[in-house]
Amino acid sequence: MKKLHRRSFLKGGLAGGAAIAAVGTSKHAEAAGSFGGYPDSMGVLVDLTKCVGCRTCEAACNKEQGLPAPDKSFDDPSVFEEKREGGLPRRTTEKAYTVVQKYDVPGREHPLFRKVQCNHCNEPACLTSCFVNAYKKTPEGAVMYDPTVCVGCRTCMIACPFYIPAYSYSSAINPVVKKCIMCYDTRLKFGKPPACVEACPQEVMTFGKRKDLLKLAHQRISEKPEAYVDHVYGENEVGGTAWMYLSDVPFDKIGYDTHLGDQPIISYVKEFLAIVPMVLTIWPALFTGFHLLSNRKDALKNEDNKS
Amino acid sequence: MNSLKSQGFAPVVSHRKKDGSEWTVKEKLMLGLSPKEYMAVQLRNPFNWVLWAIYAVGLPILVGRFIFGLGWVTHSSYDYPWGLFLGWGLFVMVPLSASGFMMGTTVELFGRKDFKSIERLGLLNGLLGYLFAVMFLQVDLGQPWRLIYPMFVSLGPAAVLFLVAWHVATYLSCQVAELVPAFAEWMDFPKAKQFIKKIVLGLTVAGIILSTLHQGALGALFTYAPGKVHPLWYSSSFQWFQFFVSAVFAGLSMLIVVSTLTKWFMRWRCDETYLNNLSKLTLGLAKGASLALITYLVIKIIGIAHDNDWQYLASGWGAWFMFEMVVGVILPLIIYTMAVRNSNASLARFGAFLAVFGLALNRLNTALITFNWQLYQEIPHWREVVIVVTVYATYIVVYRAVLARMPILYTWKENK
Amino acid sequence: MGGRKKTLMGMAALMLLTAPAGAQSWAADGPGTVELGSLANHYSAVTFDHAMHVGVAANCAECHHHTTGLAPTDPNCVRCHEAGAQARSVACKDCHSDKRFSAEDLEKTGGNPQLYHKGKPGLKGAYHQKCLGCHTTMGGPTGCQDCHTRNDQGDAFFHSGKYAPAPKASGGHGGGH
Repeated sequence: MKKLHRRSFLKGGLAGGAAIAAVGTSKHAEAAGSFGGYPDSMGVLVDLTKCVGCRTCEAACNKEQGLPAPDKSFDDPSVFEEKREGGLPRRTTEKAYTVVQKYDVPGREHPLFRKVQCNHCNEPACLTSCFVNAYKKTPEGAVMYDPTVCVGCRTCMIACPFYIPAYSYSSAINPVVKKCIMCYDTRLKFGKPPACVEACPQEVMTFGKRKDLLKLAHQRISEKPEAYVDHVYGENEVGGTAWMYLSDVPFDKIGYDTHLGDQPIISYVKEFLAIVPMVLTIWPALFTGFHLLSNRKDALKNEDNKS
Repeated sequence: MNSLKSQGFAPVVSHRKKDGSEWTVKEKLMLGLSPKEYMAVQLRNPFNWVLWAIYAVGLPILVGRFIFGLGWVTHSSYDYPWGLFLGWGLFVMVPLSASGFMMGTTVELFGRKDFKSIERLGLLNGLLGYLFAVMFLQVDLGQPWRLIYPMFVSLGPAAVLFLVAWHVATYLSCQVAELVPAFAEWMDFPKAKQFIKKIVLGLTVAGIILSTLHQGALGALFTYAPGKVHPLWYSSSFQWFQFFVSAVFAGLSMLIVVSTLTKWFMRWRCDETYLNNLSKLTLGLAKGASLALITYLVIKIIGIAHDNDWQYLASGWGAWFMFEMVVGVILPLIIYTMAVRNSNASLARFGAFLAVFGLALNRLNTALITFNWQLYQEIPHWREVVIVVTVYATYIVVYRAVLARMPILYTWKENK
Repeated sequence: MGGRKKTLMGMAALMLLTAPAGAQSWAADGPGTVELGSLANHYSAVTFDHAMHVGVAANCAECHHHTTGLAPTDPNCVRCHEAGAQARSVACKDCHSDKRFSAEDLEKTGGNPQLYHKGKPGLKGAYHQKCLGCHTTMGGPTGCQDCHTRNDQGDAFFHSGKYAPAPKASGGHGGGH
């Protein structure tokens, strides 16, 4: 260190600085601001009071997406009794992008059926957490996934507040994330509703522009206040979702997470993202400053020796 | 080897043998022993038998993971997408390897040349820890051959993991560069050493920046899961800082642990300077670690106060949290303080083991144990455990191999 | 969903429903039976015993809302349709679109701010909501095949019948973890 003259010090500093500049500049510009969703994006309003648990939506999804044959027939009601780990109801898997769950609600005459699939968030956590940009929110409202760039880190599965993305662990060569894409490729892109919506005999799901659906949802609640809880799940949850739900049972009683808050998931990460440019810009000067200060005596000694 | 040395064996410390002729690379690799002697030494070591046993079971399973896929070695959980590979291999390994930038900062930046004799061990501990964290990552990634995609193929620059990927990659090259002098001495490439000497300050400053950010970023990764990590282990505002500060004491404590192990098991390779200074330096490291520990303790309490998580302390999770804090943070803090006050290096070593345990527990708690605290507890598949043990054993093998050869624990004698 | 086939069947059913008296036998003030087949795809057409339901229902408005000239039963509808507002046709399909969520349907419902009946179900939804809703409260049959038998195409669609998956020896992990 004694031999470290100003010039070589500068060189070193530049080398280090360049190394960081290469990775550091403008890194988080995209993270700034918040996104309320595309104005004319489509959505689906699910009226849980209407669902009879026939699982036609599951069959339609399986066919439309070309998924592998199910373990049990789609008219087999025994799947409702299946429990995954922790006594939890069935969830989306690599073979099923949508599943219907059954809830026996005390005091309710009939069981309540709940359809689960990707909610297609306005500001999706999977998208904002992906380091290879594999996710895309289309103007039509679908959250798309590109399997050709996915590295398989599975952060999207960590980030998804709804526990939706599944992963084809069984594949050794090409494991990918498996989730509902709102039938974008085959239907949504052409203005058609997702296969599950069209197949539903009860018209549990209403397809339309998200902003129209919101009005419709509130209209339904105000027309029949006794038939619904006064909440449209998905209107504001994690920044709003394309799929929204009406229910006659409080949402926390039928497996919905009612503590997610109205902020998109990325907003919880922004405090860290904000410090990144500060560290990148302040640290080099700060620590070289420390270095100069702590080696001041040596430097002075060297000057004395020279003169 | 320790017994060999007591019988008069002199390990390689310079380019020339006692008779003045030069060591060949092959001889250097064999530690200056004849092939026969070398094999005998390897067979005599009981630890090697343990390693062979681990490999006998672990290697086929590790190979199987790449043939049959992750589904064969894990429970294929959709709810717990991250298991032990990342929980241990990334989130525990990386903070325990913070010693590299800590020692670089101490010696090169603050000019504390009294720490010089342990600096290289700190750097090596950093480099190997990061290298094997990447190895663990490669085992865990669904498509490991796409590791460079975030760098060159499809960039998602707004993601925290993007920052981790870039910074770990850059920092890994930084650490390689910082250890070039040791390699250059051993292989006799004086020019390489001189070049690094010129840019060492830049490397060190880069190391501090990259470490601050990616150690913090590993914590920030969990801020994507506000409802999944238990509130006592989650803090949107301070998670990155908690991970960074705990990495500071963890890196220093790990260095004490590793230096203690070298003192016990690789004494033959340590030179006088290293051994004579070790107690004093251990206390110095303990002092630094205790400062980081108290900072960490305070920021943990602030985190709880900030989110008003006090009521959780009364729950079962609260008791588990208190266990982690008492055994893994407060106890080492007290022990370190006592050790420094009484100049008792052995006590500091005990504290270091506790601090390393505390760090590991904290990371596993965040990534696995309290993760999905409202759902159920995932217990890793036995094959997953075997693979972790196997890769970690390889880490130890490589670590030991480098220590036995390159001038890390001893000073190279430039007698040309 | 076999769009072309559906259209064909729809046309066939349309002809059935519009034919004056051929396929239908008329009770005193309505058809005796109605063949509901315009949407048949996975199931065969439903032969609806209108006469029987006339006997069971309290009045026509139970199913036909206000279109028969009676006051509707839903208090919400009464607000506008108290007088009945008789329609020229009382067939379900005349108000409930069999092309629900098609581009023109979305244009009609979403694009018109004046429209009150934005959430009006399509034909399939109207059938099932009306029938199943009533059957549930009245204790009528509610199973899918109680009203319409599933055809081969439907069996394939549901992976049922001869298309049922082979039962597995054990549950296994199945990725449902």
